[in-house]
Amino acid sequence: MKGDLRFYALTVLGLVLFPFVIHPIGGYAGLATQILIVGIASMGFNLLLGYAGLLSYGQAMFYGLGAYVALLTVSRFFPQHPNFWLAIGLAIAFVTIVAIAIGTLVVRLYGIYFSLLTLAFAQMFYFVVFKWTDLTGGDDGLQGITSPAVPLGFTSIDLTASFPAVDLGPFGNLSDVHYWYAFVALVTLLVVAFFRTLTRSQFGEVLRAIRENEQRSTFVGFDIARYKLAAFAIAGALTGLSGALRGLYETSTAPDALTVETSGNFVIYTVVGGVQTLFGPLLGTGLIMYLQNVISAKTDAWRLIEGVIFVLVIVFLPGGLLGTFAKRRTKPRRIITDALRPAPPTAAPARSEVTR
Amino acid sequence: MLRLVNFAHGAFYAIGAYVGLVVAQQWGLVAGLIAAPLAVAFFAVVFDRLILRLFYDKEPTSQILVTFGVAIVVEESLRLIFGGTTRQFPLPDALSGSFNLGFANYPTYRLLLAAGIIALVVIVWLFIERTDYGLIVRAGIRDRTMVQLLGGNVKLASTVIFALGAGLAGLVGAAASPIYSVDPDTGFSFLVPSFVVVVIGGLGSFWGAVLGGIIVGELGSVTTLILPAASDVVIYVAMALVLLVRPQGLLGESEVIKG
Repeated sequence: MKGDLRFYALTVLGLVLFPFVIHPIGGYAGLATQILIVGIASMGFNLLLGYAGLLSYGQAMFYGLGAYVALLTVSRFFPQHPNFWLAIGLAIAFVTIVAIAIGTLVVRLYGIYFSLLTLAFAQMFYFVVFKWTDLTGGDDGLQGITSPAVPLGFTSIDLTASFPAVDLGPFGNLSDVHYWYAFVALVTLLVVAFFRTLTRSQFGEVLRAIRENEQRSTFVGFDIARYKLAAFAIAGALTGLSGALRGLYETSTAPDALTVETSGNFVIYTVVGGVQTLFGPLLGTGLIMYLQNVISAKTDAWRLIEGVIFVLVIVFLPGGLLGTFAKRRTKPRRIITDALRPAPPTAAPARSEVTR
Repeated sequence: MLRLVNFAHGAFYAIGAYVGLVVAQQWGLVAGLIAAPLAVAFFAVVFDRLILRLFYDKEPTSQILVTFGVAIVVEESLRLIFGGTTRQFPLPDALSGSFNLGFANYPTYRLLLAAGIIALVVIVWLFIERTDYGLIVRAGIRDRTMVQLLGGNVKLASTVIFALGAGLAGLVGAAASPIYSVDPDTGFSFLVPSFVVVVIGGLGSFWGAVLGGIIVGELGSVTTLILPAASDVVIYVAMALVLLVRPQGLLGESEVIKG
């Protein structure tokens, strides 16, 4: 319990300081908001790659669909009573259904087949969005949509409003930060808590067990397809939430949100930050998006640099930044994975085993 | 064979297209078609020795990740060197006309290309199915250790087959570019449909891939006539249906799915 309290206190502190710390190094508070929003999708992706061992190259479909459904909800489906919660709720519900449908088709496949199949389905949705001009605006996307205020029962908050002006020296001004950041930081905190609970639960244990030894997990009696499908659906829902937030934050979206490049970005963010770690995906998302913001202003070669960083990380830091440098502590609850592991002499020295 | 399908294949295709383009502008189309597969095969061997080698013993996901990273680096390098604009491949006059087939006129180059591709398909098939080398490769995919114990050089064989696959992708990249234009994203736009072809035809099946190619091509053209807006989507819907009804693909072996 005491550990939990410290964990959440530090997380909250980090989230509060983030938009100010990013200021003197060339970032801005709006970038901090974007990073957290995209980071939620990266955390969802981490559940797939890091815990279920599923390398999806189609996360952009959930992200893009989330953005489109949320914006269409306020502009097209319920234009009379645009409601923030309804937009987010419908987006998550729709994306989850899509994720379950596609997951049913793909979780049986392995390795490159799974990757390319998720990619192919993402391409399918890309073309649907691109061609269904009446609904989606085609190439132009949806633009200039008024994002509704957030109703809280007794009152409602306009997220585009700023905090009062207080000069913070090198860290900018308090008024640089909009309520959007506070809202997104709160959602991020909830997602972190959810993710932490989930990966420490029996569900998370079984996923890790499947990742380490699928055959044994089947013999022990786990229905691995169902666990993988559940992970796929949860990751989809988180990515849909992220897309919906991004759409409402930007008040616009375009077919770009569903491209292969977007899917690839979630892969890059998560792998660079560190798979199988709680904060790795957030760190990777923050670092790469920050570098992109700084470097692409100066040179056309940003995407090349990003590719080189990615390759270097895979070759030299297979655990990602956080997975490699963070101190490895023995995890208290690894009963299932330990039971599934082969006897020590034959076991390959897995990453976490070496230091134990 | 199919273990080698990876993200880098798109990059191989794109390199082939650009090498073909540059050489063909200097020394003519034939030179381009010879240079492209050689250059790409060389690049593939370097990539294999320098980077991919480190990932042989690792889990498949990290192999996929590294090919994905290299594909980005290649694509972006091509974009910086040649610019992001679309290029058209020059065709010699002798090939740019059309040829009378008796029942229809068909562009000469497309006809030659079709003939060339059929010849290639037959050669590759013979190589894999009928030579000792092909045997080692096929057996190596099933049981690497056993083949090594029996004295087969799987390592060399897999490098050769990797270079061969890359060279083929490069050749096709160069040969197809007079029809489709060349831009840095070329590789990717070629990768996904070709994977759809493989899924429909059947994972791990050679003739399945051929059948899938015909189905995808026909579906695309027929839908373009009936409902143009759906022409890009239809092949993916077909893929989903095939997966639902027959997950291993039309001619596929079921063991691929079971892992």
